[in-house]
Amino acid sequence: MSSKSIIEFRDVWKKYSRHQVLHNSFREELMGAFRRRKRKENLADGEFWALQGVNLAIKRGECVGLHGPNGSGKSTIFKIISNVTYPTVGDIVCFGRVAPLIELGAGFHPDLTGMENIYMNGTILGLSIRELKRLIPEIVEFSGLEEFIDTPVKKYSSGMYLRLAFSIAVHSTADIFLFDEVLSVGDECFQQRCRERICQIGQDGKTILIVSHNPVELSKTCDRIVEIQHGKLVEASA
Amino acid sequence: MLSRLVQYKDLLLVFIWREFLIRYKQSLIGVLWAVVQPLSLMALFTFVFGVILKTSNKDYPYVLFFYAGVLPWTFFSGAVNFAITSLSGNFNLVTKIYFPREIIPFSGVAINFIDFLVGAVVYVGLLLVYQVPLTWNFLWMGPLILMLVLYTTSISLLLAALNVYYRDVKLASMFLLQILFFATPVIYSIDAVDNRWKLLLFCNPLTFIVENMRRVTIEGRGVILWQMALVMASVLLLYFVIYRVFTRIERSFADVI
Repeated sequence: MSSKSIIEFRDVWKKYSRHQVLHNSFREELMGAFRRRKRKENLADGEFWALQGVNLAIKRGECVGLHGPNGSGKSTIFKIISNVTYPTVGDIVCFGRVAPLIELGAGFHPDLTGMENIYMNGTILGLSIRELKRLIPEIVEFSGLEEFIDTPVKKYSSGMYLRLAFSIAVHSTADIFLFDEVLSVGDECFQQRCRERICQIGQDGKTILIVSHNPVELSKTCDRIVEIQHGKLVEASA
Repeated sequence: MLSRLVQYKDLLLVFIWREFLIRYKQSLIGVLWAVVQPLSLMALFTFVFGVILKTSNKDYPYVLFFYAGVLPWTFFSGAVNFAITSLSGNFNLVTKIYFPREIIPFSGVAINFIDFLVGAVVYVGLLLVYQVPLTWNFLWMGPLILMLVLYTTSISLLLAALNVYYRDVKLASMFLLQILFFATPVIYSIDAVDNRWKLLLFCNPLTFIVENMRRVTIEGRGVILWQMALVMASVLLLYFVIYRVFTRIERSFADVI
């Protein structure tokens, strides 16, 4: 694999449990805090592999689409890249700051105003307060919510809510952008702006990963599409 | 341990600011609530113990005695109550985005500390009203407050992490905090306790902290150094152990929450 990779999965396996196995997991973690964790390569009762030996290298500046049915492991890949969870077996290398736009508006608080939520959501996405102060006019302008920016977001319509969330997300200064099913935000006009914005992010040399069920949509935006089924990469087409 | 927070300091600040905003949104008297709670508890205890039961175990005013106990207790219980559900309640963040997880319980400690400081200003006011002479021993409040914050932070981290795995923590916390309230000399003085039980009560670092906060302010006496060193050492040890365990197990929070 090339040394220019910004993200590299090396034989990554991820195990999840169907049940809540609290007692085991807590004890394991506690023990793991004091001694080396043993690699568990066997499945216990009720466990399954969400990812099975994923090898994936993404170069800087690439725009990659992930496509596959529900539960095929697309979001798990995103979670591993954004460091929310970790592989059971295997390694992942990831250089640069990640902006995980996995769920738009995660961290929005209904009682806070649009402006206050920009600060909240922006810092969660890794922006500093100083960067945010500079970006705020742009973010507000992009969302088209100038009138309502000092209104608590609980009074927003769901479309306004998502537009604000998306505007914050695409103004992140991260190196890697993860978009999970977010291309269906707002009306057609706003979707068009989103697509343009994503293209622009790509032109700025940022790395982009997009998850979608819609292969037509993906082929329009992405350099290549990776097909995932049952936690395995099926094909990588150009 | 603080180094991993440096690059997330803005997020911590915004979290504190957010919790502060949320707390007093749509509230009439806002930050005044920070003094209403300790003052009303103080008034209640003064009434119950001074008027109804007519107990007296210290020769200084009830008002000062109870307020000095209620103030650190309100901080501790407020922060711990916030922390317990802080991670499990923010699961939409925890399962989606990485940031040092301790930031959420830390912000709870921070906003309760702001309340504590506001309450402390009122305390100084009360000391002046009752014409308690200010002595240099007042400066012992510094290390005592540090110990209080460290201990509160440790318990907050511990319970927040445990509640990710077992929601029993939330259910048990109601009466555990109540028991701890009585195990802390808020409404009584440790001097009135039989020697057999003193040792047991001192297993709770809050006992030492609350007793000595009264001692260095109202009585104007210094702390007993070896006791101070011992409690400080155990509070620090507890903090480092809990923080280390927390940073190790936080990786799995997203999977079990």
